[in-house]
Amino acid sequence: MDLPLNRNLPLVMHIDMNSCFATAEQQANPLLRGKPVAVAAYTTGNGCVIAPSIEAKRYGVRVGMTVREARLLCPQIIVRPPDPPKYRDVHLKFSRIFKEYSPDVFPKSIDEAVLDFSGCQIKNKSLEDVGSEIKKRIKREIGEWISVSVGISTNRFLAKLAASLKKPDGLQTINWQNLEEVYDRVTLIDLCGINTRFQARLNARDIFTPLDFLKASRELLIKEVFQSIVGHYWYLRLRGWEIDAIEFERKSFGQSYALGKFTSDKRELARLLMKLTEKMGRRLRRHGYTALGIHVAVIYTDYTHWHRGETFATEMYTTGELFKKVMLVFNNQTHPSKKVAKLAVSCFKLFEKKFVQEELFRTEKSKNRDVTDAADKINNRFGEFVITPALMLGMDDLVLDRIAFGGVKELEDLYASPINL
Amino acid sequence: MNEKINEKISVVTVFDREKRTVMPQKIKWQGRIYIIDKIGYHHKVKQGKKLLHIFSVSNNSLAFRLELDTETLFWRLDEVSDGLAS
Repeated sequence: MDLPLNRNLPLVMHIDMNSCFATAEQQANPLLRGKPVAVAAYTTGNGCVIAPSIEAKRYGVRVGMTVREARLLCPQIIVRPPDPPKYRDVHLKFSRIFKEYSPDVFPKSIDEAVLDFSGCQIKNKSLEDVGSEIKKRIKREIGEWISVSVGISTNRFLAKLAASLKKPDGLQTINWQNLEEVYDRVTLIDLCGINTRFQARLNARDIFTPLDFLKASRELLIKEVFQSIVGHYWYLRLRGWEIDAIEFERKSFGQSYALGKFTSDKRELARLLMKLTEKMGRRLRRHGYTALGIHVAVIYTDYTHWHRGETFATEMYTTGELFKKVMLVFNNQTHPSKKVAKLAVSCFKLFEKKFVQEELFRTEKSKNRDVTDAADKINNRFGEFVITPALMLGMDDLVLDRIAFGGVKELEDLYASPINL
Repeated sequence: MNEKINEKISVVTVFDREKRTVMPQKIKWQGRIYIIDKIGYHHKVKQGKKLLHIFSVSNNSLAFRLELDTETLFWRLDEVSDGLAS
């Protein structure tokens, strides 16, 4: 049986800030406006461009390029290091505006959010009017240089596609009446979730355009193209039915670091791992969890990688407990002499930290946990890394504050911060 | 080009009751007075319990990043930029 297109009113709005970090820099510094600007993880030649401005994109500068490549394309490009507190502040100001329009606001990343209007009544105006009003308020209340693209549709997937149709500063709606016309204008790779590998799978079954994709039968998508339930999800998604409104619960906390200076020195790597573990441990404890599992991943300078995860019998809570296990896992590396380019640690199998009855005789373990809680309180009051494990001495400028790509879990930390209440 | 400065400076600010704004209007840095035309962005940063107000301000030739420490009420010039590539 063929499922029809979703003919319900489009009530899902996707809002995407255009060139978020670069635009925020241009907002803060008007002398950068109208000029090609790139925000890069590091401003040196090998630094990775994480956000080119709209002007820089016109020269072909793209996310993921090195600063050296960006300068070859555009010699006059202005390269700035990231300023995460500023971008988080922009995100919070966005969120505050969005929450005045809908109680159901879902941040998708630092620069994207979905607003669901299905639970609220909008009186005397259309959703397009609401979108247009939000765009004006962002310019008035956050900054005149900041622009967003707004997409409206019946599900998150089509709302995101609508937001991508006109950039920058667009406002587009996709409904059952113009859906086929929109699919006719875009390519398979323009669809969120389809990249070259899925495109190749689709091509192998004679699906070359989004319109072919829409017309493909459910059986073909499930049994031949995706060979799983994923095919069914695509069948629904393409017709405007909601399948992506799922918020996943937290399963892990992790930190990673791309080394500025590649090394295989064990002591240096242990110091870096300690700093990553301390940051991870602080987040684990702030959210009130303990962990049973540790995962360590290493990428070497020759682009090979190694990773390993292990589950332990005892729960870990303090940075010391986590670090011992991190080193236990890390020491299993198969090629310890290779130079390391990137390190990542994460903890998993999380359990909520329960109230523990006071013990009559204090054990070393409970004392250590109390010391950790006290150190956390001091760091909360006087700033990160005021009290640190001795192994981290002299590491102030390493493992800098960064914003995760597409990550929304770190936003939980942001909303939990007292400054943002 | 951006230059890190990190120096305490003198600042004249104006609080406008009607517009509910605080605007740094003049800064004195290394003996020279710079008139501020525009606030590009204002945000707050916490360092532990200490709250800093960051003002990104500019005139038509230079942009300044100013920090107001709410504990000491001292101003610090963090960075200067001429808006050109280095």
